[in-house]
Amino acid sequence: MENALVRKQHGLAYAVDIVFCIDVTYSMEPVLENVKKSALTFRDRLESVMREDGKVISQLRIKVVAFRDFADNADDALEQSGFLNLPEQASEFAHFVQKLRPNGGGDIPESGLEALAVAIDADWESGLDRRRHVIVVFTDAPAHPLGTPDAKAANTYPKGMPESLDELLEKWGYTHSQSATMENSAKRLVLFAPDCAPWMGIAEEWNRTMHFPSNAGDGLEEFEMTEIINTIANSLT
Amino acid sequence: MKRGEVVGGYRVITEPTNNGGGNCVWAFGERDKEQVFIKCFLEPKRPRPDSTASEKSKRLRLQACEEFEKRHRTIMKMLKPDASGGGNLVLAKELFYEGSTYYKITERIETSSLATPADLDSRQKRVLLRTLVLSLKQLHDIGVVHGDLKLDNVLVQKRSKRAFYTTKLIDFDDSYVSGHPPDAESIGGDVRFGAPEWQRYVRQDGSVRPDFLTTASDIFALGLMAHYYLTGALPGFPDGYDSAADAVNAEKPLRLDGRLASETRELIKAMTARSPGSRPGVDVLLERLRDERIFVLNKKSEFTPSPPGSTVPREPKPSRVSTNMNGKRPVAPSVTEPVKSAGKRTSRVRINR
Repeated sequence: MENALVRKQHGLAYAVDIVFCIDVTYSMEPVLENVKKSALTFRDRLESVMREDGKVISQLRIKVVAFRDFADNADDALEQSGFLNLPEQASEFAHFVQKLRPNGGGDIPESGLEALAVAIDADWESGLDRRRHVIVVFTDAPAHPLGTPDAKAANTYPKGMPESLDELLEKWGYTHSQSATMENSAKRLVLFAPDCAPWMGIAEEWNRTMHFPSNAGDGLEEFEMTEIINTIANSLT
Repeated sequence: MKRGEVVGGYRVITEPTNNGGGNCVWAFGERDKEQVFIKCFLEPKRPRPDSTASEKSKRLRLQACEEFEKRHRTIMKMLKPDASGGGNLVLAKELFYEGSTYYKITERIETSSLATPADLDSRQKRVLLRTLVLSLKQLHDIGVVHGDLKLDNVLVQKRSKRAFYTTKLIDFDDSYVSGHPPDAESIGGDVRFGAPEWQRYVRQDGSVRPDFLTTASDIFALGLMAHYYLTGALPGFPDGYDSAADAVNAEKPLRLDGRLASETRELIKAMTARSPGSRPGVDVLLERLRDERIFVLNKKSEFTPSPPGSTVPREPKPSRVSTNMNGKRPVAPSVTEPVKSAGKRTSRVRINR
């Protein structure tokens, strides 16, 4: 059977970019192991679910933003890959994911909003017919507010970070937005995050956003990742 | 939206899911013992009352909300349940917002599956297709395009053991006034059932103006669906093409089941013509459906196309994960999910018994 990810000459070409924002602090160890395992089979599983709906992905790219806490340890607060084409760069993707280690974190809130901001600013695909730009956040903790002095003092703090959640919302955008970074019709945000601030507020007020609850220390069951993959695939229509 | 939550006075009684809908989540709800279908829109979102965003930001978001409400209420007003055929449309009961989120409430239709519609006798197929065309007629007579006509948006009902199967058409959220579709980035539709002009419009290849998208786009989908109800499978298309529209745009013929009568094949060919202007309207279709030969399947098949998709059943499994949930286990939203062993294909035709 022809590789469904080979770009077709005919039909609508779907370009799918997915950014995984993964909390890699110590409490996320059970989740991280399953995310690692699932990440490596993600392409095949997503392709399979899409094929059931008669959809063919012409181009799939995945980027990983792994985060901890800028205020706790600047040196390991953020690690990110570029966008990696699958299947061509599958080994690079596997290598990046496998070397992620769950450690650190300090206090309970982490730098999840900075990771989300980095994801929003990713180099998203702008061509092909139908684009889908999906950000998936995995965390078991609330997030420090943006603009926190301790975080900003870190020498690795990314330049150009929004100073508030309102600013971040403007970058996420909405219909008629004049300052959005994300393409409104293409974007999707899937939060695997606790039922607490800021995630609940984001899920409530940001468009094209879905929220799964997570609990610190609990593993991510295999079938739950299946549901998350199904949710991502459903959101690509 | 969470299971157990009360939205608009309706208690959410199943786990929300985005299965089948890219830009919404849905669940079943209940109020005063009446069960309903609740759709939660992921867009647009209203600014929160305590929002600290700029006035400009709030104003722009509210503008999108006003446009959304206007479009939906316009369609809701145009679709009257008491019109001829209107009983076969599952229309919205309410549209409202709570917090930042919009919700739409429709009647809940109990469904189960018809595994092999091709096995119905010709009289049953005739009633099935006729009710579907009548439903569509109600939209087309007032110049409304369904915009997302597909097997999943047709519920099949059988009120009693001896009754005929009839259809109910659902989901008008992608509907638009004929010739006035949303922009190419926003238009709904399904790649498997989308018309050739719809596909070219979405691709923005410059060959399709908005006024090319008319009720004829629904007729293309209806042609594919008619083939399915008559034979159990969608028409085939050559390798190298991703969809019927894709093949038709390239002027490649669709492969129709050889068991169909020649009259039927000619009718489906006309319905799936590349040029929207060449396709018959609903009144012509109703007239053609009077011919009993349309519904006959001869014994020998020259070609048997593949059944639609390769849907693998997702049996309900206990899970912590659910949309906007509090950790409770999700339940499969349908009353009964089709159960089949590996290798068999699931019909998308659902029946209410």
